[in-house]
Amino acid sequence: MTPGDPPPPEARLSDSIAIGQIGVARGEGVLRTFVGSCVGLVLHARPQRSAAVAHVMLPSSNGHGSPPGKYADTAVVEALRLLRELTGEHDLSCTAKLVGGAAMFAFQSGIPIGEQNVLALEKILGELGIPITGRLCGGRHGRRLIVDVATGVVTVETAGHGTETLA
Amino acid sequence: MTADDGRLAAIFHRGADDASHALAKWLGRPAALAVERLEALPIVDAAAVMGSGDTPICGCVMRIDGAIGGLLLLAADDDAGLSLADTLLERPTGTSTSWGDLERSAVVETANIVGCAYLNAICAALGPGGAAGILPSPPVFLRDYPAAVMEAVLMEQQTLAEIVLLARSEFRIDGTPFDCRLVFLPDAASVAVLMPPAPEQGTGP
Repeated sequence: MTPGDPPPPEARLSDSIAIGQIGVARGEGVLRTFVGSCVGLVLHARPQRSAAVAHVMLPSSNGHGSPPGKYADTAVVEALRLLRELTGEHDLSCTAKLVGGAAMFAFQSGIPIGEQNVLALEKILGELGIPITGRLCGGRHGRRLIVDVATGVVTVETAGHGTETLA
Repeated sequence: MTADDGRLAAIFHRGADDASHALAKWLGRPAALAVERLEALPIVDAAAVMGSGDTPICGCVMRIDGAIGGLLLLAADDDAGLSLADTLLERPTGTSTSWGDLERSAVVETANIVGCAYLNAICAALGPGGAAGILPSPPVFLRDYPAAVMEAVLMEQQTLAEIVLLARSEFRIDGTPFDCRLVFLPDAASVAVLMPPAPEQGTGP
């Protein structure tokens, strides 16, 4: 989804959000995506029963923030903007949840890219005063996350390793 | 840029031939690996290469460093992977219903043989000195959602090229087919080596 050209509401509620993209929805339904090393950033505005999910791939845009959902620094700002646009509320009170950031292969030395993504998002959310109310990060496995748009409850499924809920 | 023509296709087909011989030798049975289709995909389309469904796939990943760098992924759906494990372990098809140590080990060894055969083919194409400069990692087994696998493979690359090379391959062991996908993600520098731009016309004598 690109700013100014949002998909129809039914697409928002049924499609899996692709790598580097942001999905937003209000009212009923779910938003979902698959993440491995990427991080699913979930923003939820409870009073407006609205949610945004960004599929964040890299910790910093370094000035090249397109698409904005791809980078931690631009994804938070863009997800907030889309939520404000969707709800018509300038002063949104949001909470955040983070899912993903796995190190599935562990070939790399140094801090895995997934962990760098999580750290970057935590820093940016902290600077914006958005509390992180749940997280399932790290590990060796990919995850499917399903966000209930109305409640903000996140269901996280891991292949062969069960399901957890972030209320 | 297409992958089906020329040097790159020759490399993959030679790799398949070498892998066939190596597999047959290891198994002591007739084995063949054929590249049915070779594609060069834009990176933006690569995340969907393994499908977008909710059913996990299995596979093995090897990291390649040196003169050619990148990642090699051999993947299949669960049923095909478990059937392959049964065949490798000389058990009736359907014996394996989950991924235990034995099944994983059989598939990892297969990935090692196939991956190294492809790398040998690349080395041969690079000419003298190529073989000395390529170092594969041991294969890592994984079983996960298709989208998560491809995303993690893409993320693993630090200097990502703009294309992904996908070879849809089929194993046949004792005449039994196994549908597998071999994905090679060269880093940016390696794409220039493997797929050099065509020379401009009209500049020759």
